[in-house]
Amino acid sequence: MKKTFSRYERLLAAWNLEEADRVPVAPINCYIIPYLEGLSIKEMFLEPEKLVRATVNCLDICGDEVDPNITTLDHLSLLGKSGWDQATLDWRIWDDFPPKGNIPSFYEKTILEDYDDVLERGFGPILFNRKICPDVFRRSPEDFIYYEFEYPKIYAQAWRRFVEEHDVPLLMGGRACHPLDLLQYYRGINQLTEDIFERPEKIKAISEVLVEYEAMRAMKQAMIMGAGEVPGAEIIFFVNGGPPGMSPRIFDEFFWPYAKKSIDLFVKRGFRVRCHWDNDMTPYLDTMKHIADGLPKGKVLLDLEKTNMKKAKEVLGDRVCILGNVPSALLVYGTPEEVEACCRKLIEDCAEGGGFVLSTECETPWDAKRENVRAIIESAEKYGRY
Amino acid sequence: MGKLSESLTTLDKDGVLRVVKADLDAGRNPLDLIEDAREGLQKVGEEFEKGNLFLMELMRAAQIFKSAAALITPRIKEGGRIDKVKGKVLIGTVSGDVHDLGKGIVASLLECEGFEVVDLGVDVPEKAFVAKVKEHNPQVVGMSGLLTTSIPVMGRTVQALADAGLRGQVKIIAGGGIVGEVDASRIGADFTTSNANEGVRMINAWTRKKG
Repeated sequence: MKKTFSRYERLLAAWNLEEADRVPVAPINCYIIPYLEGLSIKEMFLEPEKLVRATVNCLDICGDEVDPNITTLDHLSLLGKSGWDQATLDWRIWDDFPPKGNIPSFYEKTILEDYDDVLERGFGPILFNRKICPDVFRRSPEDFIYYEFEYPKIYAQAWRRFVEEHDVPLLMGGRACHPLDLLQYYRGINQLTEDIFERPEKIKAISEVLVEYEAMRAMKQAMIMGAGEVPGAEIIFFVNGGPPGMSPRIFDEFFWPYAKKSIDLFVKRGFRVRCHWDNDMTPYLDTMKHIADGLPKGKVLLDLEKTNMKKAKEVLGDRVCILGNVPSALLVYGTPEEVEACCRKLIEDCAEGGGFVLSTECETPWDAKRENVRAIIESAEKYGRY
Repeated sequence: MGKLSESLTTLDKDGVLRVVKADLDAGRNPLDLIEDAREGLQKVGEEFEKGNLFLMELMRAAQIFKSAAALITPRIKEGGRIDKVKGKVLIGTVSGDVHDLGKGIVASLLECEGFEVVDLGVDVPEKAFVAKVKEHNPQVVGMSGLLTTSIPVMGRTVQALADAGLRGQVKIIAGGGIVGEVDASRIGADFTTSNANEGVRMINAWTRKKG
């Protein structure tokens, strides 16, 4: 008789490059759940119990794991948290979803004027700065202390109860950014591009600083979320978002060394690493196939946005689990039949032998059709049986 | 290909600026220098579209071009010469979306190509597109957006232009992260793309036909 897998076991099998009962499925549902349940963005960020309740009502589109929206903690605590803070994001209208409001979005701007301060004093103190972020002084010290030290525990407790009651693991416990991903928020992509060409040594020096800064912060977050006890909280969501369109030379020289260093650091400290890789990474797959070199099996997953999944499976499918990538446009404008056809193709291309999780490309758009997201879940049942 | 355009295609900023300074000192026509630099930038654009160069290199080439143009343009004005304007493009990120990068790259490339660009910024309401088209009378309107929610807003913007009786006098291009995956007819635009250089090439083709 075939073994019955829990959701967590099914995911672990994929991470370990093994076949479970079926292909795991896990859309990255972030804003869509509060939207479907009529929560404001503010409620989503400030009232974890409401967000958890909304998630329970949306289990039909969650699949094998849920996104606990760790960015919430990044925003509300002290500054300098993985780019999701008051300095980088446009939070002007966070009460409502469009058209009345908006989800948090990035401005292309240069916040950090030079690198020397960061190299001398570290990253955190720089952002607690009236010039960079005037809003910080509108909040009281008590408010900051509450959101830095107390609120994360309340947040973690809400999600711990959810996991226990529904047996659905978390998609992550902590969140970190690649140094260049972080720098694109604080420096702007245009300016960062110029820096890479004109100040390469500075970029490398600051990347060393930021690897440590991000790693320590994310691991602390994961510990609060229950790493080691709450299934999935031991996963660090490692964002490799940008900058977009690097040449392979720039990728190899400026991006890859610090990505690998961060991943190795997390794994050596006992965490698993979900590498969330925005953009089309197909040109860099030959380098990326070394992502798990020197590490125990099952510790790294590649979550790919625009990358050619068939090619990814061919190049690194025997080394690391891959996850992806039903297009956002299809989820908003397509039909369930079109989504199903896309999922079927992804499963055919990537599922053989294990090591594949069916998912969205980056996060599910908040305005995706519910039936389209459900079609992803159903496709895994229909076509993903091993 | 001359030294200037060649240095630009290899993204050699120092080389580009050295050639520009030497040629200007030698009394070369600054308009010819601008054309040489454009030739280099176009070559970078072609290689980008073929997949041989990457977006960051395209952005870098535009940055180098602008540095060169900063040296050349004052000499053009001093000499009472006029750099021919290819046409006028009005560009903005649509209402509800504050993403600036894609729009900025396209605007920058268009300026390097010799277009006059009216950049409306981000989160631009439909009404503002209409008012600014009336004010500036561009040949092309560019709408940018990264979010999926920008697609219907782009459609509404086109409709607003049509309601104002302006649709027939402008070509409309929509661009951004996923916009190229959406058919132009859904928006009511003439062209959609997710590729900056492809967008610039299309605008070039439209204005050539009109010119």
